[in-house]
Amino acid sequence: MDTRRRRFEAQALPHLDAAYNLARWLVRSEADAEDIVQDAMLRAYRAFEGFRGENIRPWLLAIVRNCWRTRVADGARRETVSTEDAGIADFVSEDIGPEAHAAQSSEARRLNMIMALLPNDFREALILREMEDLSYQEIAQILDVPIGTVMSRLARARTLVREKWIAGEKQ
Amino acid sequence: MTCADLLRTQAFVDGELDEAASRDAESHIENCAECRAFVASAAATSDLIRHHAATHAAPDSLRHKVIAQLDADTGIKSREWRSAFWIGAGSGSAAMALAAGFALFLMLPPSVASLPEALVAAHTQAMMDGREIQVASSNHHTVKPWFAGKIALSPPVADFADDGFALTGGRIQRVKDIDMAVVVYRHGAHELDLFVWPDSGAALPDTALRHGYRAMFGKKGDLDFAAVSDTENAELKKFTALVRSERE
Repeated sequence: MDTRRRRFEAQALPHLDAAYNLARWLVRSEADAEDIVQDAMLRAYRAFEGFRGENIRPWLLAIVRNCWRTRVADGARRETVSTEDAGIADFVSEDIGPEAHAAQSSEARRLNMIMALLPNDFREALILREMEDLSYQEIAQILDVPIGTVMSRLARARTLVREKWIAGEKQ
Repeated sequence: MTCADLLRTQAFVDGELDEAASRDAESHIENCAECRAFVASAAATSDLIRHHAATHAAPDSLRHKVIAQLDADTGIKSREWRSAFWIGAGSGSAAMALAAGFALFLMLPPSVASLPEALVAAHTQAMMDGREIQVASSNHHTVKPWFAGKIALSPPVADFADDGFALTGGRIQRVKDIDMAVVVYRHGAHELDLFVWPDSGAALPDTALRHGYRAMFGKKGDLDFAAVSDTENAELKKFTALVRSERE
């Protein structure tokens, strides 16, 4: 096996879960998330020789996000990838399969629904910070926005989640 | 949200501030009710997400698909290289068009211009086919005589293990219609091939980068050689210096 292939498997494949998690939070269906990750891993492999950074995870996640953006822009798959116009019940029932649904605590179910319904800009910043533990700088690179924008989106996302969570508790 | 320092407060919570800025942020938070509330709410939200948000692990089926795709793509790549190699063998100008360092190679004869491409293709092809080593040995007394009966030149063979380049074996490979002796080394995680062929009298480039692999050229006595690997430039330089200074 050639050394590029070996290096790619050693460095990039361990982040397949992170890649899939991000994709899964960006789109509604498992199938779409899998397509995006497959597409992203192939692109990453082909571009791997040009990768000179030390930290491969943000680089890989940026490619995942770009693949998702390309699909959204393509328009052909718009209905299956855009979450904004998805109905709540539709999103959540497909997002969490029936078994997983049953296994989840009511708190988890409620939180996942709140996060799923956040606008994309806020949700992706929140996922990258809270689930992937990335720095502002890394998130800014992935989202291709200034750090200030990352900070304001994060603040907004956290406030929204908090507000909806408290509103739900009161019901 | 009205506090002008709210984003700095958030950066403090996220551990993004240096020591001095952290001290400033802390003393502000003590005196700002809105920022205190934000710190508490951000911490609670963070806790919620870390405990309850669904983490989606990649299914095994996806992992297999990704690996199969890498296999397929590696196959395609090798075919591309092979065809580039054949074009290079037949026509120098076509190979030159493929070469990234176009300008440099304009000054070289066509057969030399396509040489780095062909050497890198030979190196990767041999590794992919798993036939990079026809004689496996870290002993130059084994490797050197092996070449003697098979090719009309005697390549420099030495074990540079003390310098980080361990001799692993050798092979014979035809590159651009020339039978070349290839001495195989391992340098850390990298494979390194030393291609050796009779001096054609042509001027050689110093070094060329193709597809992420580097070929570094040199002359030793009446032999031309090229070290090909994906290791660092400086390491290849060290290696070619060792080859040049090696006394038979």
